[in-house]
Amino acid sequence: MSRSTQRIIAALIGIILLVAGVLKALDPASFAIDIQNYRLLPWTWGVLLALYLPWVEIFCGAALLFHFAYRGALSIAALLFATFVIAYGSTRLRGLDVACGCFGHGIHRGYWPVLIGDTLFLLIILWLLKADLRPLSPVIRGTSSS
Amino acid sequence: MLPALRQAIAILLLALLPTIAAGLWHPRRPAWQSDEVTLPAAAAWGNTVLWIDARPDPDFAAAHIPGALPLNEDHWDTMLSAVLDQWDPRRKIVVYCSSLSCQTSRDVGRRLRDEANIPNVFVLQGGWEAWKKEHP
Repeated sequence: MSRSTQRIIAALIGIILLVAGVLKALDPASFAIDIQNYRLLPWTWGVLLALYLPWVEIFCGAALLFHFAYRGALSIAALLFATFVIAYGSTRLRGLDVACGCFGHGIHRGYWPVLIGDTLFLLIILWLLKADLRPLSPVIRGTSSS
Repeated sequence: MLPALRQAIAILLLALLPTIAAGLWHPRRPAWQSDEVTLPAAAAWGNTVLWIDARPDPDFAAAHIPGALPLNEDHWDTMLSAVLDQWDPRRKIVVYCSSLSCQTSRDVGRRLRDEANIPNVFVLQGGWEAWKKEHP
């Protein structure tokens, strides 16, 4: 797949992260409640995350959208999605029924749609990362001697 | 790999700046102390506690903590006036919903703080399930 297609996909993921980050940054108090509902962290850590995570998503999303610090942003996005998939995946095993908190407070999109959707995003990001690390073939780069 | 790490660190550090600003000045910044209270701790407050049941109406009608008042988001305005009639500044409000995983008690607690300007609002850890366990 060409670099421009990869960039378009990365930009789309960037927009999703940007929107998710802005929605959370507008209301960190509600996001802290969403984090607390996962029952994985003490409240104070949840508060710190509720203040910090939205801005990581915003900067990461902007980096993917405008293609700066691209590889670093992809790495963070992969980490964010992987952490979320594990945390959210574990809620069902622990008998919890929580709203994911992905796009604002208390929005229930259903366990499996969220889990499958975010796993797909994670796989796409990992694929983008792998594609970015791999050098382009001369044909795609347009430097073929033929 | 090293440039990726450097870029990632740069993004993470950059995100710290608005985080600090949000922690200091955001009008919707979360409180540093948890509003959650365990059942033994709430019970120790005795008669100063005003129990608020945030579950749906049929659940409240079926059973509730003795003396609890219903207050859910479906009939917020009508139910809130009854709560305000019972409340005075010396009382602590403890909101509960059905279980550990429900979040309506937190939402109701937040609205009581933000919209009714009631300061001492707590959320019962484990909700109705925790109460039932102690009072079978």
